[in-house]
Parts: sequence; C-alpha cells; structure tokens
Amino acid sequence: MGRYFFRRFLYSLLTIWLIASVTFFMMHAIPGGPFTREKAIPDEILRVIEAKYNLDAPLYEQYFDYLKGLVTFDLGPSFQKVGTSVNDLIVAGFPNTAKVGFFAILAIIVIGVPVGIVSALKQNKPLDYIVMFGATLGVTIPSFVIATVYIYIFAGKLGWVPPFGLRNAVSYIGPMIALSGYSLSFVARLTRSSMLEILRADYIQTARANGLSEYSVIAKHAVKNAVIPVITYLGPTIAAIMTGSFVVERIFAIPGIGRYFVESVTNRDYTTIMAVTVLYATIYVFMVLLVDIAYALVDPRIRFEKEKA
Amino acid sequence: MDASKFVIIDKSTLIDTEPVRQSLTYWQDAWRRLKKHKPAIAGLIGVIFIILFGFAGPLLSSVSYSDQDVDFANLPPVLNLYQMDEDIYVFLTNDYKLIQVSRSGMVLEKYKRIEQDPVNKIYTYANAARDIEVVLDFSYNLLPGKMDSPYDYTLTYNNSVVTESTRRVLNKKYPFGSDIVGRNLLIRVMYGARISLTVAFVASLVNLFIGVFYGSISAYEGGRTDIIMMRIVDLLNSIPLILYVILIMVVFGNRGLWTMIIALGSVYWVVMARLVRGQVLSLKEQEFVLAARALGVSRNKIIRNHLIPNAIGPIIVSMTMMIPSAVFTESFISFIGLGVSAPMASWGTLANDALSGLLSYPYQLFFPSLAIAVTMLSFNMLGDGLRDALDPRLRKG
Repeated sequence: MGRYFFRRFLYSLLTIWLIASVTFFMMHAIPGGPFTREKAIPDEILRVIEAKYNLDAPLYEQYFDYLKGLVTFDLGPSFQKVGTSVNDLIVAGFPNTAKVGFFAILAIIVIGVPVGIVSALKQNKPLDYIVMFGATLGVTIPSFVIATVYIYIFAGKLGWVPPFGLRNAVSYIGPMIALSGYSLSFVARLTRSSMLEILRADYIQTARANGLSEYSVIAKHAVKNAVIPVITYLGPTIAAIMTGSFVVERIFAIPGIGRYFVESVTNRDYTTIMAVTVLYATIYVFMVLLVDIAYALVDPRIRFEKEKA
Repeated sequence: MDASKFVIIDKSTLIDTEPVRQSLTYWQDAWRRLKKHKPAIAGLIGVIFIILFGFAGPLLSSVSYSDQDVDFANLPPVLNLYQMDEDIYVFLTNDYKLIQVSRSGMVLEKYKRIEQDPVNKIYTYANAARDIEVVLDFSYNLLPGKMDSPYDYTLTYNNSVVTESTRRVLNKKYPFGSDIVGRNLLIRVMYGARISLTVAFVASLVNLFIGVFYGSISAYEGGRTDIIMMRIVDLLNSIPLILYVILIMVVFGNRGLWTMIIALGSVYWVVMARLVRGQVLSLKEQEFVLAARALGVSRNKIIRNHLIPNAIGPIIVSMTMMIPSAVFTESFISFIGLGVSAPMASWGTLANDALSGLLSYPYQLFFPSLAIAVTMLSFNMLGDGLRDALDPRLRKG
C-alpha cells in the first residue's frame, strides 16, 4: 500500500515536471516576447532589458534556471508588473481564490451529494422532479450568466450585496453560487444516478433481508458505494475551482489569481504564465492522487487490487 | 370411435396465428426506444430548432449581422409608447432620444433634438419634415421644487401634455432589441448560433476522429504501446486545458473561427480516446475478432470494420455530450475576449458585449444566454435519451 502511493507520488512529480517543460517551450515558441510593443523599443534598450531578465541567454540555460527556481519556489520577477515577483502575485491572489473556492467546494459536497441521495430515494416523486429540474437548469446556464444575473438582481436592483470585491460575508455568496452552480448540479445528478444503480444491487437486498434498518441500509451500505463516481469527479473539479475561474473572478472583481491566466498569456509574461500553469498542474495532480487514496479508503476491492499490483 | 366427430384443420391457419416478432436492426431498435423517451424527443426538436434558427433564420431576413444604425441603439424588445396624437406614438430612451414608433411597434424615425436647455432640463425635438415638434421636460424628481412628482417626464405636443406611457408594444423592427451601436440583436443571435454551433460541431468531429483513432490503436496494440499512449493521455489530462486553448489562440494570433476550432479540437480529444480505448479493450478479446484475425484480416480493417462499429453507441452518446460542452467552452473563451473578432459574434461575445450596459439594458444579456441554455438543455436531453437507447448494457428485450 505504502509503496504503491510512493510510486504514485513520484509519478505525480514527473507529470508536473513534464507539464512545466511543455509550457515553457510552447510559450517560447510563440512569436513575440514580453517586451514586444506596437511601438518598437530601440534595440539597445531592448537588449539591456533582456539582459536584465536573462532573456538573451540560450534557451536551455533559461530552462535550467527556471527549473532551479521551481524547485526552490522562486518563480522569478514578473515581466509586466515591474518590481513585483511572481511569488508576490500568487501570495496576494491565491488566498482570495482559495477562500471563495473553499466555500464553493463545501457547497458542492454539502448540498450536492445529499440532494442527489434524497432525490434517488424519492425517485419519480414530485421532490425528485423538482430537484432534477433544478439540476438540469444548473448544468445548462453558464457561470457568467449566473454571476451577471445575480449582480443585476441583488446588487443592482435590490442593493442587498456589494456589486464587487470581497468586503463582508455576504459578498461571498455570489461568487460561491456562480462557481459551484454547474458542479453542484452535476454532482447531484451523478449521485442520484449512481445511487439508483446501487439501490438495485443484490447486496442491498441482502442487507434488507437481514433485517437491517432502512437508515443503516442507506447510510452504511448504499451511500458509501454511491459516492465513488462523485469522488472521481471532485478531484479535477476542486483543482479547477481552487485555481480560480477567471470569468467569475472578473465579474465579481475578486483580486484572485484567475485573471493572470488570461492577462499573462496575452502579455507574454513568461514567469507568471509558468507559475500559474505549474500551480494549477500541481494542485490537479495531487487532487488526483488524493482521489486515489480516497478510493482505496472507500472501496476495499480497489485497495486489494493495488496491494496485489 | 366415430371418425365424423373429428374435423381436419387446415394447417396453414395455425402457423399464421403464431406470434412472429418482427426483427429489428440495431438502429431501428435504438430509434424505437428513443421515441419512447419523451425528453429526448423534446431535445431532438430543440436541436433541430436551434440549427434551423442559426442556419435558415438569417436567410429570411435582409438585415445583416453587421448592419448598424446608431439612431436606434439600445432599443429594448418591449417599447413603452407615449401617444402624442391620434396616430403619433413616441418612445423615449434612457438617454433622452425620442423615437417615433408606429402603433403596431414598427420603429420609424429618430427625432432630431433642435433645442436643448440642460439647466432647466427641457429638450425640444422635431422630425425630419419638421411638421412635428415635441417638448420634453425631464426636470421632475431631479430639480429642487419639482421633487415628489408622480411622474418623471412630460411630453408636450400641440399644447397637449402627456405624462404617462399608455401603450406597450413588441418591437417589430428589433424583436430581441438592438445593441449598443444599433445592430439587430435577433440577427446577431442567429449568426451567433451559426458560429457557436459550427465551432462546436467541427471541434467535436475533430475530437471524435483523433480520439477514435488514438484510442483504438492504443487498445488494439496493447502492451508497451498502450502504456506509453495512455501515459501521454494522462499527462494531457492533467494540464489546465483552458489555458492551453488560450495559448493556442495566442499562437495563431488572428481570432477567427478556425483558430477556435483548432484550439478546441486539438485539446479535448483525450476524453474520447479513453472511452474508445475502454470499449476496444473489452471487444478485442471476443470471438468475432479472433475469427477475423484467423481469416487474415489486417489490423486496420479489424479496427475499422469490426471494433469501431461495435463501439459506435457509446461514441455517439459521448459526441452528443461533447457538443454542448464545446458550446460552453467556446462561450467562455469568447466571454473573456478571445473569441471571434467583431463584427462577427458568438453567443459568448454577445454576452460579453452586454456586460457594460447590464443595468440599463439587461435584455442584451438575456437573449444570448437563453440561446446557450436552450442549446445545452436540448443536447443534454438528447444525449441522455441516446444513452438509454444505444447503450447495449441497458437493453432489455
């Protein structure tokens, strides 16, 4: 068991390295650099700037410098925001993204899963139809529409919430709804369908035949198996939410890291792009690893197979 | 025993009464079950409607998506008209433009502001022929001494004063309203459908081909090839794909339709590759593949003629689900300003354009969003139905 996860951990590190390399070379393959302007900068000045940021060095040298920086958690200076390092940008932005993301994920798990279970238990009853109607609506409306409509109604017309920023507790509600809307609906649907499948399984019938109470049949035996597909789905979703949906952050003017995704690519701000990509990849890869561990904890069959392998 | 008590029965009648079940092909059976699934049929109708809306809709109108008329900018789909005379109706915009509208809701003419007195907040308007002159006083509830008035405006024409709008009509010229430079929003949403759907269909097709090709080769070859090919897929899967779509958009520079298709098509095929691999892995162990191999059929032919046709159900279902997610992704990228360039517009671009004037003109966001939601809903319902109809595991009798 321990060996398996150690191997998986090494594999995760390898993945992060590969992603960092691919992004590095892809970024440098794009024509134009961070100091390409519509109005050309005189050659001498450009050379001085490039020398300052070490951009005149051969590509492989830049690459090794960059890897060295990654290992020591020094992500270098931002090319566009003079005087700030990328570390500063991330340290300033990530807590905001993470705070909003945390509440969104909490909502997905705390609301999505129970709603799906209840809906499955009340299959083809009015409650089921209402829940499924809401969930279907949730996966059809893009988050930017939810966000703008929310601002239009609650900030614009009613004035109940501040239109932007994270000033008080109430201001978290909007970004939370917009960020979690799609995934919450998806999780509810997923839980419902997997729950329905499980409820038809033979072992549930056996549990009932053995005289277990309905509560313990559902809570102890059915739910545990029904959440397995939800765990699979949650891994990448948590990574995506934690690194910020730039659309939601843009609409609510949250100073998170989501906006760097777009800004840095269009500005050719190499160091920021790399940092954001690697950050996302790291969270993603370790979320997948966590999902694997969670799997093994929930499902002994998987644990057994992994010990064999 | 008396033989006359017995009657000889004609044998042919007996055979006829035996119930014979008509045999159905795979597709007939799938269609039969799809028809029973009511939401799926609603989804199918929705999909057909959206396609007709986007591709046939603009043909019925002579207006182009880029035709603009600044005189009629930001007109809502529902107009509150002030009746000035027997057959003179006017509409007052938020920014104090006066527009003459026919009784039935046809936008006719913008009146020219011939005199303005911003201090006392009185504007005078006249039509082009100068035979109609209307005086607008919008000082109510704005200037001291005129607060607490029950109305905000008075419109004066031929000494008769109108304070209330008396007629609500649907905008005939701009059924979805007009945008910030006076382009017809209905036509733009139709063209948006064209762009969003073209991007989604072509990108999904590209995904389909790459995914099927990659997945089937990987599964059929097995062994080391399979491991390496799947490691690459795992790797691609752990990359923030949206970031790569943005990178590709920047690499290609111009923001055309094709850039978007290439970006989406080259990145999202990994899901399909995994699905096909799983299908082929279980199929290739079956006897009919062994038989084909024993007969000396080549690898490519086995994959093309035996394996893929048998996995077509899940592939089609996945394709139907891929289209709405491509519409979604496309609208996201357009929304952050990396989509097709003006004056072309996809639904995401339209929604983004509407953002600046949201509080005054919410309808500009409403219609593109509605279009996205209807598309998503239709494809999702159709996909759900197709899954039930095509998935062999769920087939019963």
